[in-house]
Amino acid sequence: MRAIERGLTNCPVCHAIVKVPMQGSEEAAYCPRCDSEVYMRKPDAIQKTWAFLLASIVFYIPANILPMMHVITFAGTESDTIMSGVLYFLDTGAYLIAFVIFTASIFVPILKILILIYLLISVQKGSCLHRMRRKKLYILTEIIGRWSMVDVYVVGTMVALVHFGALTEITPGMGANFFLLVVIMTMLSAMSFDPKLIWDNTKECNAKQ
Amino acid sequence: MSAHYHICHECDTLSKISTPDRPGRYKCPNCDAKLYTYKPAMVEKLYAYNLAALFLFIIANYFPFLSFHVAGSSSHANFATSIFYLYQDEQWMMATAILLTTIVIPLSRILLFCILFGSLYYGYLPRYATQMLKLLEKLLPWGMLDVLFLGILVSIVKLVKMGTIIPGTSLWAFMLMVLILAAAQSIYDPHQVWERIGDRKRLERERANV
Repeated sequence: MRAIERGLTNCPVCHAIVKVPMQGSEEAAYCPRCDSEVYMRKPDAIQKTWAFLLASIVFYIPANILPMMHVITFAGTESDTIMSGVLYFLDTGAYLIAFVIFTASIFVPILKILILIYLLISVQKGSCLHRMRRKKLYILTEIIGRWSMVDVYVVGTMVALVHFGALTEITPGMGANFFLLVVIMTMLSAMSFDPKLIWDNTKECNAKQ
Repeated sequence: MSAHYHICHECDTLSKISTPDRPGRYKCPNCDAKLYTYKPAMVEKLYAYNLAALFLFIIANYFPFLSFHVAGSSSHANFATSIFYLYQDEQWMMATAILLTTIVIPLSRILLFCILFGSLYYGYLPRYATQMLKLLEKLLPWGMLDVLFLGILVSIVKLVKMGTIIPGTSLWAFMLMVLILAAAQSIYDPHQVWERIGDRKRLERERANV
């Protein structure tokens, strides 16, 4: 039995069961336990998820092209992008660090964006396939999203430690700002998606079989 | 307590739980997602962990966490240093983001946990418990101390080739704090607290009607 068939849903904050007056209506009910607004489904979930997702895709391009940080020494200025950092560690033989940076700053954001595109399109087409797998993918995006912030913190720590005036200095580049925006946008995107939408066509799917 | 209904957050399945008070992990019968966990000593443990984390947070932020020596000159950094330099370089956005995710949000989270579960430990449900839990729900995804920990490790490896790095007192406190907060996160389930808030509201309503 699914809750939507009974006109019930749970409060997004305190998980209390709430009766929502009309199915599919935009009108909010109020949770009797914690007074939060309760909707049958998150309002405009698909539009919001697409909007944040497209923003993150747009920001992802400058985040990879522009330098993350500038290393200024008496010999001149050196600029590091994400990819050049990974390649540097591969060249010097620090494979574990290269792997960590590659995973956190290249693999995870792309994976997240691809998973969210897949979830959105499959929900919009009303797909009946792989529901369990899609649910697991959604939980995965929620868990891994924050770990991409690693690169921003690396830049922050380097800036804090290497600050010797005219001798050697590290300053952050524009790429770091865009990368920060990518992380925030993908997190917001995953938060606006409503996983219950994946299961909302259960009846039609069971009828087809 | 009698049987109790629960709606799955992932797939909207309505399920009946006949023994809601037995300790353990309750799962959705349709999609296997976690409904809630019931751990008997959650309040005591959360109070203890977060009190410990509060002291470690103060230590970690007071002392420098890394010292860096290169060619005769040296620098010390604590957690606020990077934010300070970023503001100086006019990187407002990065500075604000790092300030919020590594200092403001983790600190408010630890304080909220201490106040809420401290009062519960002494048998008293705070008046603003609803607001505190709501705020916690909003803050939790944005506190990123564990990610910062990985970031610090990566930057240590990056800097090793440039000079000598000496880990400070605060780095050990910080490592311990990240572990303790992870332990606290893994047992945190607001379900029981909401149940108590619900009981109190019902009681208040009955009193108002009499």
